[in-house]
Amino acid sequence: MRAVALAIAISLPLPALAHPHVWIDTGVEVLFDAGGRAEALRITWVYDDFYSMVLVEERGLDADHDGNATAAETAALQGFDMNWDTGFSGDTYLLSGETPVPLGPPEDWTAKFEGGRLTSTHLRRIDPALPLEQPLRVQAYDPSFYNAYTIALPPTFTPALPQGCKAEVLAPDATAANEQLLAALAEYGADQDVEADFPAVGANFADELVVTCGAE
Amino acid sequence: MRRGVILFAALLALGLLALWAGGGFTALRLWALAGAREVQQQMAGAVRGIATGAPGALAGLLAVCFAYGFFHAAGPGHGKMLIGSYGMARRVSLIWLAALALVSSLAQATVAVVLLYALMVGLGWARTQIEGVTETVLAPVSHAMILGIGLWLVWRGVAHWRGQAHPHHDHHHSHGPDCGCGHAHGPTPEQVAQISGWRDAAALVAGIALRPCSGALFLLVLSWQMGIAAAGVAGVYAMGIGTATVTVAVAASAYFLREGAFEGLSGGRLARAVPMIEIAVGLVVAIVSAGLLTSAL
Repeated sequence: MRAVALAIAISLPLPALAHPHVWIDTGVEVLFDAGGRAEALRITWVYDDFYSMVLVEERGLDADHDGNATAAETAALQGFDMNWDTGFSGDTYLLSGETPVPLGPPEDWTAKFEGGRLTSTHLRRIDPALPLEQPLRVQAYDPSFYNAYTIALPPTFTPALPQGCKAEVLAPDATAANEQLLAALAEYGADQDVEADFPAVGANFADELVVTCGAE
Repeated sequence: MRRGVILFAALLALGLLALWAGGGFTALRLWALAGAREVQQQMAGAVRGIATGAPGALAGLLAVCFAYGFFHAAGPGHGKMLIGSYGMARRVSLIWLAALALVSSLAQATVAVVLLYALMVGLGWARTQIEGVTETVLAPVSHAMILGIGLWLVWRGVAHWRGQAHPHHDHHHSHGPDCGCGHAHGPTPEQVAQISGWRDAAALVAGIALRPCSGALFLLVLSWQMGIAAAGVAGVYAMGIGTATVTVAVAASAYFLREGAFEGLSGGRLARAVPMIEIAVGLVVAIVSAGLLTSAL
């Protein structure tokens, strides 16, 4: 029976089959209105060297392979990652406390290829603007874990972080996340939609920017 | 002596698997992720080195690709689960199991090469379309094949059980002269392995290989676009060998774990344990792959 239990244990990671093939250093800028409410997020994605190269070369750009795009090549790159399928979340999740807050479609995007890395930014509007009564939480993750997001760039606030607020970037608690994953798998049955359940699990593995106001 | 070695290896394998499946799973997973990320950075430099004709660039690329395969295989994946389960459930030789692991990895590399060159170079598809096909068509087919293997293991286990129950009806309490040696009931594992070996092998290899790794597709697209196609193909096989180091290790762990468990059982208990393990492992494989299949469709 020990062998059987072990066989089951080996098989456990299977629904978490996916391992990432793309690494994205993520930056989050929160834009506030005059009343100190969050009205938009600007998301920056810096793709890893290898995937940057794939994206650039398969478009026939960077003909000299020097890791930098010319002005014409940069123009051709604009919007390369903004052709989203309907229903795609953009791998950015905004929450007010525990409540998900919808984000507008991407707009006002930019792209550049410098030093071998492809960087894009885009704006997501929050409508209506979100007061910071509850902690504002921005999570970056891909539920399918094809892309691995890390909030590696320091968060920025425009025009500034409102008075009495503090911001911190939280890395996932790997042990707690893994326990939740195992718990989710233990409950998982053949009649359940794994994909539908997975975002909740994915969020546990996500980097998160948390802005808390007036706590002290 | 042999018994001691096997028991030691079994304990070692048990420890490793427990580490993998339990708390160490997260640490290992994070370690594999960090390694994969590091290799990902080096991959671009290695490819650029070949495109610009840097000395020793091919050796560098092959080394990076080997590491890429190793780290991606060290994370969760279907190949390890299938090789591990099969090695646990079927009493096949270590060499055969390790060869299966190696052949599966190389076949997976071959599928990536054939798929990409047929669809992208032959039919002019975009890379994202090819990745779409691997997710919507090949992954479900792969899951279905794995489901089939699971069901087949269950069926074999049941047949095995009934085969040993047949000669004497009060199976559970009979300890007659022909009972207890563990080899007189039904076909021996060796016989079964011989009859079914090639059929198993084909199903296993197909189940693993059908779903190419995205990383291999990346490298093939890149090397084709940059005019260094041969280096890209060589790199993909280096990835396959890197992957195989992990699956072969899993094969060895499964083998020693199973043999170690069997060493501790004797006679009739062993004979009863074999089909039970087959059925249980087969059920797990079938249930998990059925879940994956329904979610993928």
